[in-house]
Amino acid sequence: MLTDLLTLNFLESLLSGMMRISTPLLLAALGELITERGGVLNLGVEGTMLVGAFTGFVVSFYTGNLYVGICAAMVAGGLLSLLMAFMTCTLKLDQIVSGLALNIFGGGLAFYGYRVAFQNVGSKNLPTITTFDQVSIPVLSKIPVIGPVFFDQHLLTYVAILLVPLLAWFLYKTVPGLTLRCIGENPRAVDMRGIGVVRYQYGAVMFGGMMSGLAGAYLTEAAAGLFVPDIAAGRGWIAIAIVIFGGWRPIPILFAALFFGLLDSFQLQVQGIGIRFPYQILLALPYVLTILAIVLRGTRTGEPISLGIPYLREKS
Amino acid sequence: MTNPNPRDTGRAEQGSALSGAPDTGCEKEVSSILLRVDDLSKRFGAVQANDHVSFEVRKGEIHCLLGENGAGKSTMAECLYGTYQPDGGSIYFKGRQIRLTSPRDAINLGIGMVHQHFVLVPPMNVIENIIIGTQKKGLFLRTEEAEKKIQRLCDEYGIDLDIHAPIKELSVSQQQWTEILKALYVGVDLLILDEPTAVLTPQEIMALFRTVKKMAEQGLSVILITHKFSEVLEVSDRITVLRKGKLIGTVETRSINDRELARMMVGRDVIFRVEKEEVKPGELVLELDGVTLRNSQKMKKLDNIHLQIRRHEILGLAGVGGNGQRSLYNAIIGISPLDEGRILLCEEDLAKKSVADRMMACLAGIPEDRIKQGLLMDFSVKESLLLGRHNRPPFSRFGWLCKKKIREFAERSIANYEIAVQNGDVRTGTLSGGNLQKVILARELAHDPCCVVASQPTRGLDVGAIEYVHRRLLDLRREGAGILLISEDLDELFNLSDRLAVIYKGRIMGVFDVNDVTREKVGLLMAGISE
Amino acid sequence: MKIGTLHLEKRTHVSWYVQGFSILIALAGAFGVGALLIMTTGASVGEAYAALFKGAFGSRNAFLETLVQSTPLILTGLAMVVAFRARVWNIGAEGQFFAGAMAAAWVSMTLHDDLSGPLLLAAVLVAAMLAGACWAMIAAYCKIRFNANIIIVTVMMNYIILFLLSYLLSNTWREPGSYFMQTARFERITYLPRFFSSRLHLGFFNALIASVLVYVLVWKTSLGYSIRAVGVNPVASQFKGIQIKRTILTVMLISGALAGLAGGGEIAGLQHRLRLDISTGYGYTGIIIALLGRLNPVGVALAAIFFGALVNGSTHMQIFTGVPVALVQSLQGIVLIFLLMSDVLTRYRIRRTPHAD
Repeated sequence: MLTDLLTLNFLESLLSGMMRISTPLLLAALGELITERGGVLNLGVEGTMLVGAFTGFVVSFYTGNLYVGICAAMVAGGLLSLLMAFMTCTLKLDQIVSGLALNIFGGGLAFYGYRVAFQNVGSKNLPTITTFDQVSIPVLSKIPVIGPVFFDQHLLTYVAILLVPLLAWFLYKTVPGLTLRCIGENPRAVDMRGIGVVRYQYGAVMFGGMMSGLAGAYLTEAAAGLFVPDIAAGRGWIAIAIVIFGGWRPIPILFAALFFGLLDSFQLQVQGIGIRFPYQILLALPYVLTILAIVLRGTRTGEPISLGIPYLREKS
Repeated sequence: MTNPNPRDTGRAEQGSALSGAPDTGCEKEVSSILLRVDDLSKRFGAVQANDHVSFEVRKGEIHCLLGENGAGKSTMAECLYGTYQPDGGSIYFKGRQIRLTSPRDAINLGIGMVHQHFVLVPPMNVIENIIIGTQKKGLFLRTEEAEKKIQRLCDEYGIDLDIHAPIKELSVSQQQWTEILKALYVGVDLLILDEPTAVLTPQEIMALFRTVKKMAEQGLSVILITHKFSEVLEVSDRITVLRKGKLIGTVETRSINDRELARMMVGRDVIFRVEKEEVKPGELVLELDGVTLRNSQKMKKLDNIHLQIRRHEILGLAGVGGNGQRSLYNAIIGISPLDEGRILLCEEDLAKKSVADRMMACLAGIPEDRIKQGLLMDFSVKESLLLGRHNRPPFSRFGWLCKKKIREFAERSIANYEIAVQNGDVRTGTLSGGNLQKVILARELAHDPCCVVASQPTRGLDVGAIEYVHRRLLDLRREGAGILLISEDLDELFNLSDRLAVIYKGRIMGVFDVNDVTREKVGLLMAGISE
Repeated sequence: MKIGTLHLEKRTHVSWYVQGFSILIALAGAFGVGALLIMTTGASVGEAYAALFKGAFGSRNAFLETLVQSTPLILTGLAMVVAFRARVWNIGAEGQFFAGAMAAAWVSMTLHDDLSGPLLLAAVLVAAMLAGACWAMIAAYCKIRFNANIIIVTVMMNYIILFLLSYLLSNTWREPGSYFMQTARFERITYLPRFFSSRLHLGFFNALIASVLVYVLVWKTSLGYSIRAVGVNPVASQFKGIQIKRTILTVMLISGALAGLAGGGEIAGLQHRLRLDISTGYGYTGIIIALLGRLNPVGVALAAIFFGALVNGSTHMQIFTGVPVALVQSLQGIVLIFLLMSDVLTRYRIRRTPHAD
């Protein structure tokens, strides 16, 4: 009997953890999906997440309002990605190098900002904020197992899940969605029809930046309640990998993000149970998994043809 | 401006004076002129692409813009479509001066363009490609109405197309029809076609011209851009000739012949048939025996190819682009391993030989895309000439580059091949198309190959460069090389080849002595129709 | 690209003068933004920058310490030069650095009785290079065999090796009786010699020698030609017989070895024990160094010294003006971005659009 309960409890914790852990991954991945569908490869997700995490944290700390923090984080992410859009879509700089630069810049800014905002902190009195409460959906959250897992989560988790069908509808059923997808495959085809390609790309890149900022805000405002310089811990890169693994389509991306979340959650649960196992192996699991995912998806079907190639109207 | 019925516009306005026309520079009957280009100029850096060009197009007229590669025809077209903005001069459309800042303006006015290199989105289907940018109202995609309208246009003009098929599954000619439908769908009064026949079989060309003539009868004006004056005489009403960016003149088609036209185009008498000596073919140099190649989806790109090339011989290979020519080139060069069959060079099986080995063994390849597949544009000419031989003597000893030898080779090549550069240190990217091809020739032919595979060697070159390449190929033939000439230009093939083969969907449809076969028959075989 | 009545026209050739000018503009812009950041702390910009400069170059010791800080950066910068010249985006220098450090530590801990003198030091550094090369090879294999995105794989490897190190430092390699995750201090004979009675160690001179070797490799050898050709046009290279996969592998091995050498040098020349925090992002900074130095060994050396100066001077700046050391990390990112943008100046010139009549 006890073992049965343990198992059910374990399952519930496992899946609940899965939802929480995949939320920032999903938010960032969905943002990057739109960016890449527009033909722009934005590798600066990690740096943008850090900027969002820091901004959300510091604004929440000083205003006492978590929602203001989230908005600030999205604005910060949007501004950083505006820079990226300017470099890649207007100046037509190399997208890989620009994205890497954005990472370094964003990370540096977040770190510096934190040091300036909280000048006299040691590791003993780290500033914290009260994080978001989880939001229970009435009735549904009472269903055994499924209830707490799917209907008693943070607001941002619901937002992330709902974004999936919303973005799918946008991409495949609307006029701007079709246009965006065509830009990612052959921007010249769209330009020659008289549509402003650069405008769409700016929009796509900034949406991605806002999502990454939001994902970062989740890390500080919903998950940890504090900020450390490496709070993203590579999640930005994993989000990019999720887009590849999900074949640039919203629903497979959802499942990929959940899968990553599931494995990371499993690792946490196992630690909690106290199996004698080098915990570092478990910590490394998401990263090893990302490599495996990339390797298995080698034949990249679904990759937008013009991804990473700056569009120049005059070929000379 | 969505014009559901292009026919009506033309007929209704024909014969009536247009209102509010500031176009006073026109002396003829104003009402019949649809487009007037006045003193238009456009420069790109150091190159004057269009130099004070003026011409006009009447309603319902098929007007050809004729000129060799580099004459400025495409630039003019892009200025008329709003892609480029002219530096000087003006454009009058329907009697009013227009200023186009982007293709959007052109489309709104009723000007459409089919580009030489298609601008289609391969994973999407025909309907999606056509409706991009056309739905002005509403967020939701409304494909049903579009579908009906497109189908109606297809029926009306006799276009045979599965509009639900993704572009990547369509043939080249079907893709071109998709491009034309894009313009017809939004309704145009002026349609610009940029080199539309470059990629079609003779039969497809005739079908295209039939449809174009029908459109013109219904009041649509067409500007046909081409460098092939044989076609020009067949289909046009008037011809405007450009040379090196300047206007040479506008003539009525019925009052000129091809010789005069060619002289206008090039500025001197053009030799139509090269002086091809009678040479007896020698021993076998290259043999393809049952060569089969599959792609990643297990489809055959090359299907049981049997070909033989002898010394002192040019074997031409005709075919519409995309029927296996690239795979054939890659297989012979050594990039794509064969699934079945053998390739023998001077009796030796090439199976174990890498790309580099084959070059050593007297094989040379002139690639289809000289920039993407042949040259290092950011490197100096000296370094581009080195590619492929950078790790062998005399240019490299024990892994070390021998600067002196490299420089000497560059100097020799520039002299021998008359490459128009100061020295070998100039950046490769600054050279013109013809000179780029000379660099490739200098590099590939330096080691006296016994077998040369040339893929589209004169594509995009001006007449002077074309003549140069043809001369070099004939020299090679005389000196004992065997040449496989892969080309989409039937004139070139008939001019140079001793024997002619046709490829269709990866299969050789036939090999003939060039004197024993007609263009029509070749055209049918290119389309896969054998008797 | 158009802004109002101006537009950008491609330059036909780029002179040294224009390139140098663009770098100066980038630096000026970066320090300008840096000034804004300094102002947020309330400190005086002039004092802060003066303290920064004084800390970096103000005395003989300061200057030598700047060189010490630049040593690993020269090597990781060179590692990126080799990789980026072939357009192989090896972002794993950080992990390869740690691999080298771990190998150096292992040799120091296990072989200090068996080998002596120069032989031991050579073993330490060679092991570091081999380890870096091997760690890089894993990512190279993923790219070559599976066409996996090498950027993501190398970044993931950076995290994975830290967990490996963490495990080792908590268990078999932990200093006996210590709370901290670190090894015991290594024996004196494993130390690289130091010079000028300062902390400047042999590693700096190794880095300079490596610069020369990289220059020779990339511009004077056939292999270097292949590397550059693949970076400029892999299709044409393949059509002319260059084996792309072999080139990628070679480049990753060399790149990894250089990054590993950086790690080994830090251990044997400076730290003398292995901890988790022996790197302040040297691998990632190497990317900026390589781009600032325009993928050229001389430029890399100069850029590395510049960044070494920033790092060295920043501690002085924090002590005297209170501006956090973290400013340097931001500055690095800002310099890179300004450099990328000013690069546009070298490619284009600004022209007035002529009015169409």
